[in-house]
Amino acid sequence: MIRASLARAVILCSLGALAACSSDADDSPHTGAPSLITSTIPEGFPKGTNVDQAPADNALTVERATLGKRLFYDPELSRTSEVSCASCHQQSSAFSDPAPVSIGVEGRRGTRNAPSIVNAAWGKSFFWDGRARTLEDQAGQPLENPLEMDLSLSDAVARVESDPSYVEAFRRAYGEAPSEATLQKALASFVRSVVSGNSPYDRHLRGDDSDFGPQRKRGEALFLNEKAECFHCHPSGSLSNEGFFNNGTYTAGGDTGREQVTGRVGDIGKFKVPGLRNIALTAPYMHDGSVPTLEAVIEQYDAGGRGDPTTDPLIKPMSLTDDEKADLLEFLRSFTDDALLQDARFAP
Amino acid sequence: MQSRLLAVLRLSTAIFAGSFGCSSVDHGAAAAGGGEAGTGAGTASFAGESGVGGAGGVGTAGGVGMAGGVGGSPTDSACAEHPTPLRTQGTVLSLALAPVLAAKSFAFGQPNAMADGGSLVPLNFRFYVSDVQLLASSGEPLAVDLVTPMGEPEPYGVHLFNAEDDETSELRVLAPPGDYTGLRFALGIKLGCNQQSPAKLSEPLTDISQMTWPHTGGFLFLRYEGRYTAADGSSTTPSDVPPVVHMGGNIGQELVPHVTISGQFSLPESGVLEKKLSVVMDEVFKGATANIDVSDVAVGFLSTPEAVAGERLRRGLSDLHVFVLEP
Repeated sequence: MIRASLARAVILCSLGALAACSSDADDSPHTGAPSLITSTIPEGFPKGTNVDQAPADNALTVERATLGKRLFYDPELSRTSEVSCASCHQQSSAFSDPAPVSIGVEGRRGTRNAPSIVNAAWGKSFFWDGRARTLEDQAGQPLENPLEMDLSLSDAVARVESDPSYVEAFRRAYGEAPSEATLQKALASFVRSVVSGNSPYDRHLRGDDSDFGPQRKRGEALFLNEKAECFHCHPSGSLSNEGFFNNGTYTAGGDTGREQVTGRVGDIGKFKVPGLRNIALTAPYMHDGSVPTLEAVIEQYDAGGRGDPTTDPLIKPMSLTDDEKADLLEFLRSFTDDALLQDARFAP
Repeated sequence: MQSRLLAVLRLSTAIFAGSFGCSSVDHGAAAAGGGEAGTGAGTASFAGESGVGGAGGVGTAGGVGMAGGVGGSPTDSACAEHPTPLRTQGTVLSLALAPVLAAKSFAFGQPNAMADGGSLVPLNFRFYVSDVQLLASSGEPLAVDLVTPMGEPEPYGVHLFNAEDDETSELRVLAPPGDYTGLRFALGIKLGCNQQSPAKLSEPLTDISQMTWPHTGGFLFLRYEGRYTAADGSSTTPSDVPPVVHMGGNIGQELVPHVTISGQFSLPESGVLEKKLSVVMDEVFKGATANIDVSDVAVGFLSTPEAVAGERLRRGLSDLHVFVLEP
């Protein structure tokens, strides 16, 4: 325990020292990340930093996150060398995918919309059905998915092993040659470093309402009251309770989501509650990308879903007025952290 | 932030002001302002223990006056993340929490047959347990620690049962060997923790517990959601089967209900005693659909069917047998 604490302290001090030496404008690989890690943890998130969220065998270091970023943007991690992680997690879309479903190698169509990776450090499970319990477990699956990157982890390791600069980067990050485990750990480290916490909403939570006017406040009140009931699944701060719910998007015969993991009848149509940060930038919406705009999202919820009997009992028609819909929309737009889109620390 | 907290507090306090004298509200738990400072006290000599006393900080002196203050430091003694253990040695009583319906296992996420030919699929069921006491043969309560499988006190002295997660189905307490006649615990969390912001706490008192009221309004004590399907395939829920139950308190008053469970058991000198603690859903539904007037509190976000059902359950809990210690 003491050793773990010391290790964490060393990492934090190291990151802090780097932060002190670099500005946010510094576009050298990831050298700006430490200040992000230690100073902009969104209000309302669980205690600690994203450093604290890393597993003991993959402590978050600059070297690991930097290596992970290089891998994240490298199309060589797909069989045809045409698709990278960033193909479906685009910074301009807050690291989500503007396509309804992921497009993999040779134009293959996936089955679900790629969720944003922002603030995934605090996630408790990953993928829409929650089948991965850690970011490390999650990281390799898109590579091996035949509809996505279609490259075995062993082949991916062979490719990076053939590049001496990669071998050196792995040695600096993990003290060893590339392996399937360290490749996944490095990708997880980069994802864990991507934090967004300076939207108008975040500033509002910190007491600065300069960009959080009356309409946004009315929308916030709706969001939090029992008429809209958004808060049940999207609590303040993290904006996701990390649970699985059937929000009324599922219809009979469709993707059954969580049920594919648990085998429970009650989980049919349940999908992981996504965080709403930067939600105005992450269209289209829902697990299948079937809802094109935020306005349409509000309309779907206002109608109480699409009418399937498996819909969660808390999803009910709301009878929102046009003004209320506009207020809610404006509140959702307050989750946009514009700085994230140009942040060089996360760019190729 | 603080001003909004206080606004919620004022609303909550106003909402509940008229109800607080109701004798059925807290059945055994402290009334407003009284706290539970004496809970567990007087058991110092039990089974060789010395100086056990009541669970530290359970007394919420001030009650409505909000000892500790809304949004106070989560390290406040009233809600310490790492409470001082009451004892470091003893025997573990392991209680397997097992929801049942009509005397049969109530399978989470699966269709459970109903007497009317319909079926019920539980979609979400979770509750907090805290402030556990064992009842000695004399009837005196002995405060005990909820402990993890590693033997450490559970954070905040709170256990979250989540029917979706098998790892939460075991309730473990560390207690002195001896003969007992039952146990008692708070079905929920005490005011000291309920007043804290989930953003400043750790699990199981964060937003991902799925137990938070809207935005700084404290925590739910019990949450249930289910889907009923009638024998003919329709989804019209019978009046005695609530689709949703959200039971909670508020951040202004000590409203957590306590349950007392009878049942003889003897804790050996060492090892683990394993018992089954049934969670009788029939009683949960009965309480949530009882004809209890809660109009005094059913305003604002507390006026929804789920909150009304929860408040009925909370008020009627003393007449129900939601928990049964199996032989």
